Amino acid sequence: MSDLLFQIALVLLAVAMLLGFYRMARGPTVVDRILAFDAVVLCTVGFTALLSRWWQSEFFIELILIVSSLGFFGTVAFVFFLQHSLPYGGYEKNKSKEKES
Amino acid sequence: MQELLSAIVMVIGAILIVIAMIGIVRLPDVFCRAHAVGKGLTLGLMVLLIGLWLDPHSEVSGLKVVAAIFFQFVTLPVASHLLSRLSYEKNLPRYRNPSRAKDG
Repeated sequence: MSDLLFQIALVLLAVAMLLGFYRMARGPTVVDRILAFDAVVLCTVGFTALLSRWWQSEFFIELILIVSSLGFFGTVAFVFFLQHSLPYGGYEKNKSKEKES
Repeated sequence: MQELLSAIVMVIGAILIVIAMIGIVRLPDVFCRAHAVGKGLTLGLMVLLIGLWLDPHSEVSGLKVVAAIFFQFVTLPVASHLLSRLSYEKNLPRYRNPSRAKDG
């Protein structure tokens, strides 16, 4: 019974990660992509938790801390980079036709 | 029995994560998507890690799971807030209600 529930949880997390990849490919601005990247990293953290339960191993819990801190510091670095380089309004000039989507 | 409880809590966490990702795909705006990440994904991941904590076989590493839950609880809303603050400073396009946009 609990094995079936774990498989259901794995499939749900895979669907969530695919939705995050969709937004990362489609997102109209750079901030959407960074947000979707952060969400995909957190889905990876959820996968790590599920697999650590599935394999009955405690070594993956450090991996949870490391992966989530890497995603957080990557997001912070992107934000501090984009504060200088993102144009006002969010779009580059040759991409302004994407504004309606 | 406790394994079954842990599995049920983990499935609830996965369902919350899927709802948050549907919010990322469906919501119209950067700010709304940051809201979906900052609240829904934090709640889903915390519930998932609580399900890992309830597992009877991982009692050795219980404190590390609590540290991971605390770390998620601290960092995820901070990242979401930084992104929405950046998009407010750079004046990214926002969602307007289309029926009101016709009036004004």
